[in-house]
Amino acid sequence: MKLDRRNFIKLMVGGAVGLQVTPLPWKITDDIAIWTQNWPWVPVPAEGAYDHEASVCSLCPGGCGIEVRKVDERAVKVEGREDYPINPGGLCPLGMGSLQLLYNEDIRFTGPMKRVGPRGAGVFQNISWDEALEILSGRVNVLRRDSRPEAVAAIDGNPVESTASLLIQRLMQTIGSPNYLRVPSFEDTDRMVNLLMQGVDGPVAYDLENADFILSFGCGLLEGWGAPGRILGLWGKWHDRENKRKPTVVQVESRASNTASKADQWVAAAPGTEAALALGIAHVIIKDGLYDREFIEQKTFGFHPWNAADWKEHQGFQGLVLSEYSPRKVQDITGVPAERIVSLARSFAKAKAPIAIWGKGKGDLNGSLYESMCVHSLNALVGNINKPGGVLVLDRLPLKQLPETPLDPIAEAGLKKTPVGAAAGEDSPFAANLLTRFNEALSAGGPSPVELLMVFGANPAFTMPDGGSMRRALKAVPFIVSFSPFRDETAFMADLVLPDHMAFEKWSEIIQPRGVQYPLYGLGKPVVKPLYQTQDAGETILKLARRLDKAAPEAFPWKTFEDIMAYRAEGLFEAGAGLVRYKPAQPPWSWKPFAEPAAGFKSSKDMWQKIKASGLWYQPLDHQRAAMTTFKTPSGQFEFYSTRLEMKLKDLNKAPSSDLVCMPHYAPSSPPSDSSRYPLAMVPYDMVNLVSSWLPNPPFLNKTLLPEQLLKDASYAEIHPDTAKAYGLKQDDLVQVESVAGEVRVRVCLFEGAMPGVVYLPFGLGHTAYDEFSRNKGVNPNDIIAAGADPLSGLPVWWKTPVQLNKV
Amino acid sequence: MGFIGSLIVGWVIFPMVLYSKQAQPMNFDHALHMDPERVFGIDGDTETERCLFCHAFRDDGTFAGIPKLENCTQCHDDPDMPLGESEEEQAFLNEYVADEKEIPWLSYYRQPDCVYFSHIAHVNMGQMECGVCHGDHGQSEILPPYEENRLTGYSRMIWGKRISGFKENTWDRMKMDDCAECHTEKGQEQNNACFVCHK
Repeated sequence: MKLDRRNFIKLMVGGAVGLQVTPLPWKITDDIAIWTQNWPWVPVPAEGAYDHEASVCSLCPGGCGIEVRKVDERAVKVEGREDYPINPGGLCPLGMGSLQLLYNEDIRFTGPMKRVGPRGAGVFQNISWDEALEILSGRVNVLRRDSRPEAVAAIDGNPVESTASLLIQRLMQTIGSPNYLRVPSFEDTDRMVNLLMQGVDGPVAYDLENADFILSFGCGLLEGWGAPGRILGLWGKWHDRENKRKPTVVQVESRASNTASKADQWVAAAPGTEAALALGIAHVIIKDGLYDREFIEQKTFGFHPWNAADWKEHQGFQGLVLSEYSPRKVQDITGVPAERIVSLARSFAKAKAPIAIWGKGKGDLNGSLYESMCVHSLNALVGNINKPGGVLVLDRLPLKQLPETPLDPIAEAGLKKTPVGAAAGEDSPFAANLLTRFNEALSAGGPSPVELLMVFGANPAFTMPDGGSMRRALKAVPFIVSFSPFRDETAFMADLVLPDHMAFEKWSEIIQPRGVQYPLYGLGKPVVKPLYQTQDAGETILKLARRLDKAAPEAFPWKTFEDIMAYRAEGLFEAGAGLVRYKPAQPPWSWKPFAEPAAGFKSSKDMWQKIKASGLWYQPLDHQRAAMTTFKTPSGQFEFYSTRLEMKLKDLNKAPSSDLVCMPHYAPSSPPSDSSRYPLAMVPYDMVNLVSSWLPNPPFLNKTLLPEQLLKDASYAEIHPDTAKAYGLKQDDLVQVESVAGEVRVRVCLFEGAMPGVVYLPFGLGHTAYDEFSRNKGVNPNDIIAAGADPLSGLPVWWKTPVQLNKV
Repeated sequence: MGFIGSLIVGWVIFPMVLYSKQAQPMNFDHALHMDPERVFGIDGDTETERCLFCHAFRDDGTFAGIPKLENCTQCHDDPDMPLGESEEEQAFLNEYVADEKEIPWLSYYRQPDCVYFSHIAHVNMGQMECGVCHGDHGQSEILPPYEENRLTGYSRMIWGKRISGFKENTWDRMKMDDCAECHTEKGQEQNNACFVCHK
C-alpha cells in the first residue's frame, strides 16, 4: 500500500479510533492519577512490628523521659514518657526532631577517619579503629617518653560529674597533663552561687511546681530553659483554667521573647543591669519590712553590720542595699520606673511561695556570677529556701567516687606544671582552668604549648562566645583529635576523628537534670543498635588507655564503660533510699510521705538492673529531710557576705579590695575603649526551635523558623523601629553588625519588642559545617561577642556586646 | 491498518511495556507447606488458620505480612540438615539461613501507603477467608513472577491482572471500588467513608 496523504490520514484516524477501544488511554490516565497520590520519592516508613523503647534523652542537661516508637529495628518517632517525673508526656522540639540526628550520614561520622583535605574543609578518609587508636596512642606515648605529657590537652563538654567526664579527667591524670579544660556552662555559675551563698558544691534546685510567684531574670521558660520538657509542661499547668493556684510569672528581659510576651508581667530592664533591678527589689522589701525576719535573723550571715575579728567594720547587705539601690537610683540604671520596682517588690514579697530564678535564655551558658547572687539574695530575703515552692539546697548525687588514679613519675611531674591559660587571683579564684585564657595563650603566636588536643562532647569552635578566639587557637594546635559523633566545626579542624555513638545508640547518664528540685539520676539506654562503625567514647578511652605505655592497666581496671557507671551507681544503693519507678499519681514534689519510701533492693546489682530498665532513680521531697539540710558555708548560715570567698582570697594573698567583692552587687560592665564607635548593644537570644548547643539542628526545625528569622541564607537582626529610623534602615535592609571582635552581615527585622539601642541576634545559626540545611545559614553571634571576662568567675560575658550598625 | 495496529499496541504491547517482570528471590511451594502431614504444627480446621501459621497476627493485632526468616528457621534451623531433597531448599539454606539474611521477597499485595487496611478486622471480625482477596495463592506450587507497574510502582495484582479491567472473581482486583463493593454487599456501607481507609 502506497503511503500517500489519504492513506496516511486513514492510518492516523484508524489508529486514533482503535486506541479508544484498547485499555491504553484509560489505564494510563488512572495510573497517572495513582502516581500523583503516591510520589515515589516521598519517604515511607518500613512495614514491620511496632515496638516502644522507654529511655531518657541526653541531648541536653534536662534529661526528659522518652519513648521511642520503632518499626522493626528502625526508630520512627520520639515521644515524651508519661511514667517519668521530669516531663510527664511532654517533649521539646529538639527531642521530637532528634531522629534526624541519628539517621543522617551527612551530619554524622560513620567510622574513624583521618584528615586528608585542608583543615576546616571536612575532607576525611576512612581508617580502621585499630589504626586510629594506634595513631593517637603513639603520639601520646612519644610525648610521655619525652617527659612532656603537659603538651596533651583535653576540652570536655560532658556534664559535670558524668562518668564520661570523670573518665576523661582520669585519662588526663594518667597521661600526666594538667590541661583539662571544660566548656563554660551554666553549671559553673550555679555551683559557684551555691558554694558562695549556701556552701554546697551541688546544682541549683527550684521547686517551681509549688511556687506561686515566679520572678525570672531572663530565663527563657518557653525557649528551652532548664529541663524543657518539665518547664513547657509546667507552663501549661500554670495557665490551666482549672488551676486555682495559678502563679504569677514575671519576666525580666529587654526583648519581648515568647516568655516575656506570655508572662503576666514583662519588665524590660536594660541588658546587663538585671543585678541592679534585683537589688532595687531587695531595697523595697527591706525598707518596707517585708522580709522574713525569722529566716534572716536565724539562718543568714552578713545581713546586718558586724565587726570582724580584726575590728574591721562591715556594712552588711542591708546597709549596702538601702544606701545604694533606692528605686530612684535603680530606675536610672535599669530604665524600669521606680513605682514599678516598688509594686513588683511588694507583690513578690507578699506572695506565699515566691521564687527568683536566673540563667538567661535556655540557661545553657554561664551567667554573671554577681547578678545570679543578687537574684538569689531575693530568695533568702523572703526566706523561701528549703521550703515548698522555694530554692532547695541539694548536695551532689551520692554516686561512688572512683578510686584515686595511680600516677607514674612522668605523670606526677607533668601534673605539677602550670596549666596553659591557668586562672588565678581575684579575677577568678574558684576556676582552675579557663578555656578563654587557654585560647588566648594558644593564639598568642609562637610555638604552641599544646601539641595534641582532644575534644569530647563539645563543639567549641561554634559555641564559644569569644569572638572566634577558639577557632584561632585550634589553628595553632598541631594535632587535634575529635570524639564528636557529628561533622561539626571543631571536628572539621581535627586531624583524627574517633566518632562517638549518637545518644540513642549508647548508655548515657543524666546526673541531676538542670534545675530539678529532688535528687534524680537518669539513664538513657540504647534504643537502636549502632548504625555505623562508631564507638562509645567511654569505650574508646578505655581502649586508648590500654595502649599507653605502662601507666594504664591499674588506673582503668574496668572492662567496659557500663561497668564504671554501675560502679558509681553503687553509691546510690549505699545511700539506702530511692525509687526506680514513677507513678504519676505520686509526684516527687508533692512533699507527702510515700507509703513505700524505698523499693528494697536486694543488692546494688539488683538496683542497677532496675535502673537500667526504668532509666530512673530518684528521691521524693520530704519536709523532714529539707528541715535537716543545713548550709555548709564557713558560718553555717546563708551568706550575704561570702566568708569562703574572703578566706580564699586571703589564701591567695589578695585580700578583698572592698566588702563588695564578697557580696552581691551591681557593677556596670566595663565600657569599650571607644564608646562612640560602638554606641549600640548586641544581645544574643535563644529560640526553642533552634539548637544552639554543641549538637546539630535537626533540619525539621529549620522549617519552623519564620521568614523574618531566616530567609534563604540570610538571618536577621531584630531592632526597634526607632533605632532603625536613627540609622536610616528599613525592613530587610542588609547591615553589618560590627564589634571589636569582628563583623557579621544580616538583614534588618523591625520589631517593636526590641529595646531601642539594642541589636538582637539569635543563637544557633551560622554553621560552617554539617549539611546543606545548616551550612552557611545565617550568622553566629558568637563571632562578634567581645565583652571580656565576668568578674569572679572569669567566664565570658556574652550577654551584651557593644556594637555599631553599618548599612551595606 | 492503523486501527489494527493500535489494537495490537493497546492490548498486547502496552501491557508488556507497562509492567516489569521480576522473579522472586527463590521459589516457595505454598501447597507443600500447607500440608499438615508434612509441616509440624500447621493443623487447623480452616485454611485460614493454616495460612495464619506463618502469615500471623502480632500480639498487638497488626498483620505481620510476609514471614521473616525467623519463621522459616523454626523448622529449617540447621543449614546442614535440609528437611527435603530439593535444590531450592539447599540454596535457601546456604544463602539465607547460614548467613541469617532476610529473604528479599517481593510483595504481590502491598497497598499504596495512603491506604490503611486492617487484616484482623476482616479475618476475625468479618470472618473472611484469605482466598476471598488472595485467591488460591495458598495452593500454588510455584511463585509467579512479580509484575510491577513502571509508572505507579505497585504490583499488578492491585490494579488487577487483566488489562481489560474486568473481573470475574473477588480476588481479581484490589482497588478502592472493590473494597466498597464488598462493604456494600455485606451491609457495611459505613465503612465506605473516606477516612476509614485514607486516615
